[in-house]
Amino acid sequence: MKQTEAERTGMALKAGAERALRAERAPGLRWWLRRRSVVGYAFVAPALAFLLVFAFLPFVFTIYVSLHEWNMLTPVTSMPFRGLENYRYLLLDDPLFRQTFANTVTFAVGNVALSTLLGLMVALALNSRVRFRTFWRAIYFLPYVTSSVAIAIVWANIYNANYGLLNGILEMLGLPPQRFLASVSQAMPSVIAVAVWHSVGYFMILFLAGLQNIPGELYDAAKVDGAGDWQRFRFITLPLLKPTMLFVVVVNTLISLQVFDLVFILTNGGPVNATNTLVLYMYRTAFEFTRMGRATAMAILLFLITFVITLVQLHLLRERR
Amino acid sequence: MGARVSTIGSRLLAGQMSRRSFLKAAAVFGGAAVTGTLAAGCRRQAAAPTKLVVLTHWGAQPQKDVLEPIFKKYQEENPRIQIEHQTVEFGELLNRITTGRLGGVAPDIYHFYNLWLPEFVASDLLQVPPDNVINEIRQSYSQSTVKGVTYRGQIWGFPTEVNSYLLLSNRQLLQEAGVKEPPTTWDELLEVAPKLTKKDASGKATQTGFAFSRGWDSGVVHPFTCLLWSNGGEYVAEDYSRVRFNEPPGVETLELELELIRSGGADLGFAGPGSSGAQDDFLAGRVGMVIMANWYGASLRAGLPGGIENVIVSPVPHSAKGTSTTLQYNWLWGVDKNSKNAEAAWEFLTWLNTPKDSGSSPMGDYLTTGLNAIPARLSDQEAHADLLGDAFVKPFVESLQSSRTEPIIPGAQEIKTSLQKQIEAAWFGEKSAQEALDTAAAEANRILAEKRQQ
Repeated sequence: MKQTEAERTGMALKAGAERALRAERAPGLRWWLRRRSVVGYAFVAPALAFLLVFAFLPFVFTIYVSLHEWNMLTPVTSMPFRGLENYRYLLLDDPLFRQTFANTVTFAVGNVALSTLLGLMVALALNSRVRFRTFWRAIYFLPYVTSSVAIAIVWANIYNANYGLLNGILEMLGLPPQRFLASVSQAMPSVIAVAVWHSVGYFMILFLAGLQNIPGELYDAAKVDGAGDWQRFRFITLPLLKPTMLFVVVVNTLISLQVFDLVFILTNGGPVNATNTLVLYMYRTAFEFTRMGRATAMAILLFLITFVITLVQLHLLRERR
Repeated sequence: MGARVSTIGSRLLAGQMSRRSFLKAAAVFGGAAVTGTLAAGCRRQAAAPTKLVVLTHWGAQPQKDVLEPIFKKYQEENPRIQIEHQTVEFGELLNRITTGRLGGVAPDIYHFYNLWLPEFVASDLLQVPPDNVINEIRQSYSQSTVKGVTYRGQIWGFPTEVNSYLLLSNRQLLQEAGVKEPPTTWDELLEVAPKLTKKDASGKATQTGFAFSRGWDSGVVHPFTCLLWSNGGEYVAEDYSRVRFNEPPGVETLELELELIRSGGADLGFAGPGSSGAQDDFLAGRVGMVIMANWYGASLRAGLPGGIENVIVSPVPHSAKGTSTTLQYNWLWGVDKNSKNAEAAWEFLTWLNTPKDSGSSPMGDYLTTGLNAIPARLSDQEAHADLLGDAFVKPFVESLQSSRTEPIIPGAQEIKTSLQKQIEAAWFGEKSAQEALDTAAAEANRILAEKRQQ
């Protein structure tokens, strides 16, 4: 039986379609390249590789070292295994770890509360129609772009108990001179004050951005309804600033828990460990006492503490949204 | 060979080459290339200089200006040696050594603080010097200096600068207070210090008789140790099994410091040399007396009102039951155990520390003229007697005869920091003298026990 021209054409088309389908299903290079996900992975691969090499692997290595005793002079392969001993020592036997943890929390609470509050207040003031608004914004932001080392050196002299500017002002006001950084009780508040002064401009800018995103119509409507300044702030500004507030509090907490340079220059952790913070203690343990195992255990504990605090903050602030 | 190559080349250019001919040609060119490369490599290897990487904390330009021409001179005398001088700040030196080792880029030669010897030796970082170097060190340096570079009975390198602590007094402030001579005993110190303290109408101290260097471990612990030894006390047991600074002589020493504070002779609002985060008040002429090391002389020459002549250097005051004793600490050159150029490194260090025609070694020249320090080598001290004979440096050089080396014990840095914090706790009234020293001793003994187990 002879095939007609039409039948032959139909069979040829069918065979071509089947070949095309097979080619489509076959796991060849073209097939892989056509898949969107592969291309996506290719685009993010450099970033993933960067994270893997500079974040994930060091993190895993930090955990590994924290389970060993290591002074960085012996080869990595010959570190004696200590299990959880470094953690046990820090949590149960090391009073300085507990003190530096308490100091760090004190610093974080003081710095976060004050710089957030002051940042918001300055932002509210500079969001209104004051004269030379841009100039004032720049003035408040200036400390943030100044090196914290330079700031610490200048403030160490301002705080100097004998010839510092602050005691000069107190003297002019008829008030008794203070020891500031040379006093166990005043050193931490003094350091917090410098940290707040340094960072308030940055948080002011963040709050200003948040304030400028609030539609003006809401305030106009509230005014028409007879809402006063406080009511407008309480029921419009504050609720709509919550995403900014969440960001400011979380970021500020993370920065505060890692404070190092300011205390290192201003007080070196003194007097009598009154301003010694976790990161400063970690630095000394690692690079002055060459106890890398213990220092990395501190780093892991600080990471866990930071992680938990951040989760709690996110939970609390989101719940109220 | 040349003719054959040219024949192959012409055939190749003419496109007349068979597959066999092409393979032959490839073999010939390949062979020639490999032979040429090997020959060039051998020539390069034969001519390549030996590079010595030297790590120091002498990075300030005035120091480099004196030290590096010395290195250059050695390279001129030894053309096969190339010296690379790497520098870091003192605070970063230990980090650089550890991270260099870790990253496989360790220098060949280190200049380091002798307190780090226990860690370095325990970690197998240093190479034992050759016998001729050890004999040279034994013969040419004072006994206390040799002890300062010895750990577990082994000498580990060439001693370089040596520092000791003495009492520095501001001559002008003493005169203003009607004090003729600096105090030599503890009783005199307690009597003189309050006389040098001045207060303004509001009761704020504008000048203090004595200043402590708070916030700096060596600045707190070294003067304390001098006073402790000058009271007949001991820092650590001879076998390094436990510390002894919390015994009665230690408590009496800390009580002396507390009495200075209580009597108004020492005001903690003032900062001694090297105190963290504050201006140096002795240098500013606001402090009557401090116990400080000779390296401080360079700052005093540069900045003290009235110049270095305004400073009286005298022995550390002693108690009724002790004699004035000072603490000395050393720096030394050592060679990395993994250095591939160890032999060249020791040759270079021997040259650097051997006296030349002037009677001084190049190192002695550098330490005296570039660093304003005291060279540890006795012949260098003699050769530079003029420089070391001025009123400021001479007492320090003389004190070396009776000085004691800072105890080189495992975990020394950690123990020192712990003791510093506890002494400061007593200064600030947080703890009694006995309580503070007992706390520091418990921590120190724990560290010593831990290090023994490692």
